Amino acid sequence: MNKIFGVALGILAAIGGFVDIGDLVFNVAAGATFGYQLLWVVVIGVVGIITYSEMCGRVSAVSQKAVFDAVRERVGFKAGLITLVSAEIVNAMTLTAEVGGVAICLQLLSGLPYRVLIVLAAIVLAIVVWVVNFDWIERIFGYGGLCLLVFAVAAVKLHPDWGAVGHGFVPHVHTGNKLLYAYFAIGLLGAAMTPYEVYFYSSGAVEEGWTVKDLGLNRLNAMVGYGLGGFLSFALMIVGGALFLGKGIEPETLGSIAMGAQVPLGEIGLILALVGILFAVAGASIDTLFSGAYDLAQFCGFEWGRHKSPAGAPRFTLTWIVLLILAMLAVMTGVDAVKLTEFAVIFSVVALPLTYLPILLVANDKAYMKEYVNGRLANTLGIFYFVIILIVALTAIPLMLLTNLGQG
Amino acid sequence: MGSPRIKRFHQHHPQAVSRCLVAVCAAGLLAGCNGGTVDKHALKQDSKAISSLATEGSLFAEKVAKGESTGPYTRIQADNLGTLAANLADSLGRRKTSPGIEPKVRKAGKLAAQVAEQFKALQDHPSDRAVARSVQQAFGPLADQADKLAK
Repeated sequence: MNKIFGVALGILAAIGGFVDIGDLVFNVAAGATFGYQLLWVVVIGVVGIITYSEMCGRVSAVSQKAVFDAVRERVGFKAGLITLVSAEIVNAMTLTAEVGGVAICLQLLSGLPYRVLIVLAAIVLAIVVWVVNFDWIERIFGYGGLCLLVFAVAAVKLHPDWGAVGHGFVPHVHTGNKLLYAYFAIGLLGAAMTPYEVYFYSSGAVEEGWTVKDLGLNRLNAMVGYGLGGFLSFALMIVGGALFLGKGIEPETLGSIAMGAQVPLGEIGLILALVGILFAVAGASIDTLFSGAYDLAQFCGFEWGRHKSPAGAPRFTLTWIVLLILAMLAVMTGVDAVKLTEFAVIFSVVALPLTYLPILLVANDKAYMKEYVNGRLANTLGIFYFVIILIVALTAIPLMLLTNLGQG
Repeated sequence: MGSPRIKRFHQHHPQAVSRCLVAVCAAGLLAGCNGGTVDKHALKQDSKAISSLATEGSLFAEKVAKGESTGPYTRIQADNLGTLAANLADSLGRRKTSPGIEPKVRKAGKLAAQVAEQFKALQDHPSDRAVARSVQQAFGPLADQADKLAK
């Protein structure tokens, strides 16, 4: 009974923890631009992240090593270094956007000066990472992020055309501005399959001491957690379509996204939306922070792990502190967190093959995985997604330029 | 899966990937630029952006007028949206234009400035419902005029 309760709590945390600033920005903007027509892309993205997270968790449970450990061992130094550099660049951009997002939410809630809140956000994040244990970090931010469910209520209250919503789940090509449609499709895929998520997931599996006995839990966590988390993405896009599209509004700020809940639900909707965004983005900041430190430590062979004391893993600790300070300084320059998010998501799309190919290779390596090597379904999905990833990686930058960053 | 094949694949790619990363960064910088001459397409896009801000402002002011907002949110969000409008006004007021469209570009710039002024009023009086109602009424015609310019 306790185990079931634990799994249920983990799933709740995963729902609240699924959405990050990239999902918020791209889902609402896609809804505001194309209504519900891109809902099917979210489904594709969620199945993709489930497929690769399951592989990552399995690799970690079987080998007791996180993905970057495996990358270094199995694909060599040079290829591993390229993967590391690309992952860290995208990670730094994402972390900067997330820290900026936390400060914006705090400002919208408190009205205090932005720069003061940037520093406060960085200090609070550092204290949380330093003091709070892994399980509680997951719970605090996962449960806080559940406030985002207010967007699901808002979506219903906005009375969307449910027939059109249903049609949005059927893959189709838009008849209007195809380039812009493709740009948003790629952004949604990138937001759903962000590289830091799989690095964090696999390292978390090692931190929690998963073994082959936990393979069922791994599958359940990946499928139900990400699957239900995707539900929030649907809600955000439906709100974008039902509220903003008809009125010709292009939501360009996090405050505008919160208005999606304020309009149908009033002040309580606004507050819940802001709190939900705050916890979701702060939780993603911590995931991203850890992911950056995990990647470097695992690649370089440093001691790593949140479960170790800072003295037990000094270079890992130093890495996340430096990453957080750099992100804080970058936000202090006045960079637009929402614009940076769009760049971060599109650049992460370019880096996706470097992230997912090593995972696919390692999960298929019998010498490494023994009887837990990819089965037929995992391989079919893995290869299918890798082909999609390659296509979107090659087209992401040209589309970003041709559409002027989604402006049309 | 043989590891020699894995090694071969990656041995061929480091330089190509490095070149791609450089190109990606350069492309990103280019995409972020917002200067140059205002042509018909840019005027249309900027007019749509002004209309979007005015419409959002109207919706936003309506919630403030009904008492369905918080003071900090109203003040900060009005500031954020006002800054976007002011940036558009500044850009449309001073950039070079394609021949024949300068009057429209400058008109769009003035509209953007008027939108920014309305947001400033909300920012300065975040709890005043009467101001919010007046701002809401002002945003409607501004959005309509921007829509006309976008066509």
